[in-house]
Amino acid sequence: MTQDAMIDEWYPVGLFSQLDMNGHRTALMGEPIDVALDAEGNAKVTSGDGHTLPVCVRYGHVWSSLGKPRKELFAIPEADQPGRRFVDVGVVRVRCSPLRAVENFLDIAHFPFVHTDILGAEPHTEVLDYKVEIRQDKDEVWATQVKFYQPQAAKSASGGITTEYMYRVPAPTCSVLYKTCPPRPGEWDVITLFVQPLAEDLCNVWPWMALFDDVTPMTDLIHFQQTIFLQDRSILENQIPRLLPLDPGMEIPTRADLTSVAYRRWLKRHNYIYGAQLVAQ
Amino acid sequence: MPARTPAGPIALWRSQSGRAAASADRCPHRGMRLSHGFVRGEALSCIYHGWSYARTGNCLRIPAHPGLTPPETIRVATQQVKESDGVIWVAVGEPAVEPPRLEGVVPLRSLTAHASVAAVEAATDALVWQAQTSRKIRLLLVPQEDDQTLIHVLVDDNSSPSERIAASRAAETLRRLAEDLQTKGIA
Repeated sequence: MTQDAMIDEWYPVGLFSQLDMNGHRTALMGEPIDVALDAEGNAKVTSGDGHTLPVCVRYGHVWSSLGKPRKELFAIPEADQPGRRFVDVGVVRVRCSPLRAVENFLDIAHFPFVHTDILGAEPHTEVLDYKVEIRQDKDEVWATQVKFYQPQAAKSASGGITTEYMYRVPAPTCSVLYKTCPPRPGEWDVITLFVQPLAEDLCNVWPWMALFDDVTPMTDLIHFQQTIFLQDRSILENQIPRLLPLDPGMEIPTRADLTSVAYRRWLKRHNYIYGAQLVAQ
Repeated sequence: MPARTPAGPIALWRSQSGRAAASADRCPHRGMRLSHGFVRGEALSCIYHGWSYARTGNCLRIPAHPGLTPPETIRVATQQVKESDGVIWVAVGEPAVEPPRLEGVVPLRSLTAHASVAAVEAATDALVWQAQTSRKIRLLLVPQEDDQTLIHVLVDDNSSPSERIAASRAAETLRRLAEDLQTKGIA
């Protein structure tokens, strides 16, 4: 098994709000784990052979690691901003590489075809140039000035708008999206994708949101996001190969795919290859 | 629709003008199965990002860059397709001859058996002895991966509805027998 440098990262393993003392069994990178509340009401994660694993609770989720995390979980400052609603969307199980799930989240060109009449619609298919960089101070992939026409960008949007996006990849299986906030110009809605690698070709996707939206019922917010991710799943389970090819040649990127290109290079440079396919394999 | 050939999985599609085409079932952009795509005009488009391909395999359009003419290097492999007597034939490589004519018969149905071609043939031999219809049934057998066989059933073109129903049932009996033989390891 390829565990590589990703073994020491934090991964989401459940919603804190749904934990109980009975716990639930799940998996992390091929290893069975148990996630439960202890007698004091703290989250506890145990490996299949009975060892206690590192744990932290943040952004609605319980996070753990099979290795020894060398740093704290990445920061999302907006998570502490007053006035936001936090949405635990739940889980979507996807039969694909955890890295493919993240790459799809970074992609806007598929909106008109996969999320038709919600996040995109023909003939508005053009992806204008945007900026991609690796921010050295935090070692994160960032895409900024991403703009796209959307018929219904958010539950709080009425009618089509050109939405601006910023993406960050602070960890190999996590991405944070900042998106135009229809009711509050000047602020950004935050939508995240936290991916739990169950195996190299199987993952649990845990979307989470921090929104300025006091109107939409929680159920509608959850349904909106689940609809989007179920549409993505129909793609993710039908890509060949299941693993994400990190070497050029297997797939053909264009200018619209610059975020994906940077993400793949960043993964390869850090030896984050759990769920990746290399030419040598 | 998806189909399997000895040269790999294909997306089999019919253009608006009615011509059948076979493209490799993988978009070279992000690996998505083209058999999930959609046909517009004379092109097959990928459902993921809408990249569209001609019958000859070259990429015609990349919607994310509407002003761009895709380079010749972006293409999907294609296979030759011939349609005759109601059957679509897909060639592996460059065949020297036309597909065989099937005069006097019509396709009835296709079904997949979880059995090898040898097992289906063995089952056919066994069935001949208990044939309940005077009509002949012709089968076209196509090997698939994982020891499966795609069976195309053809009957005489003047068969009555009840004869067609009988032939269809006979084909299902054949499939069960072939799968039994496969399981028992006889064939």
